Amino acid sequence: MRDQQLTSVWVVCPAYNEAGAIVPVVTGLRRAGYDVVVVDDGSADETRPLATGLATAVVSHPVNLGQGAALKTGIDFALAQGADVIVTFDTDGQHRLSDIPRLLDALVRNQADFALGSRFLSQSRNMPRMRRILLWGATLFTVATTGLHLTDTHNGLRALTRRGAAALRLRQNRMAHASELLAEIARSRLRYVEVPVTIDYTTYSLAKGQRTSDFVMILLDLLARKLYR
Amino acid sequence: MIAQVVLSLLLGIVLVYAWGEYRRSPIVAALSCAVSLMGFYFIWIPSHATRVAELFGIGRGADLVLYLWVCISLIVLLNLHLKLRTQHELLTALARSIALANATLSAESAQRAGRARAASVKEELPS
Repeated sequence: MRDQQLTSVWVVCPAYNEAGAIVPVVTGLRRAGYDVVVVDDGSADETRPLATGLATAVVSHPVNLGQGAALKTGIDFALAQGADVIVTFDTDGQHRLSDIPRLLDALVRNQADFALGSRFLSQSRNMPRMRRILLWGATLFTVATTGLHLTDTHNGLRALTRRGAAALRLRQNRMAHASELLAEIARSRLRYVEVPVTIDYTTYSLAKGQRTSDFVMILLDLLARKLYR
Repeated sequence: MIAQVVLSLLLGIVLVYAWGEYRRSPIVAALSCAVSLMGFYFIWIPSHATRVAELFGIGRGADLVLYLWVCISLIVLLNLHLKLRTQHELLTALARSIALANATLSAESAQRAGRARAASVKEELPS
């Protein structure tokens, strides 16, 4: 990756009923010069028409499938468009645009295929205590099951090279995709690096984010996936 | 004797079901087989069922067989859940291909894609 020019960076924004937040997020990304694909995951609100005028491309699932499925669709689309690097970026406004160059820089400097954002290497505003404990548990689980040494396992801000993205086999449709993605990184044996990023927890993003019960469902999803081919 | 034959026939169906499911979910198939074979054993040698039942504090061998049926039902339920997940994965693949085929590109992006297509066609043409 060191000698390669990052000529084509695509940002994948999975969106489900994000009419309240999508406009500033996508506008900011486009102003910064990134190609943006919004994957509308069967939204019932105005997400799709709002994104259509702003994003480079909008891909719409005919039915709601889940964030994992939306990310996979966006990654497939970006690869088909010839992306050199794919950045995944949540549309609820909790990620900062200024963190993207740091992820891209980390890919190049470390000759890595995955740059994973970590809120625990930086600061995160207004993170609820329960969320912190659950994320800590998820990190322990990931370290134990994948062997990856990470500080943050459920951060939606990451950058993948074309080679890295093509190596991932993502089959988890819902929230378990984050753990599955890390397991796939471990399986691929490609290089990864963690990058400090800031998460801004707002009332909106907390309302849209994961609930405590979701972590139980994630564990069940991961277990169930191991029981069949 | 009639109950033994009927239960054995039912367990035989479970075994055939497990065999059919082996390729898709080896774990479910192995569990179904193990519990069914245990069922066969206890149905035809009820004295052993009673002894094992006493060992586990269940009381009667007949209750042990009943519990095995509950186990089989739960395994079948798990298998149905896994089948549903498989169907959902197929639905996802279908929805994804529909979504990608109907992607809306911005004017600028569409122009870029058109230029790329034209360039690739030009490359393919004999000079």
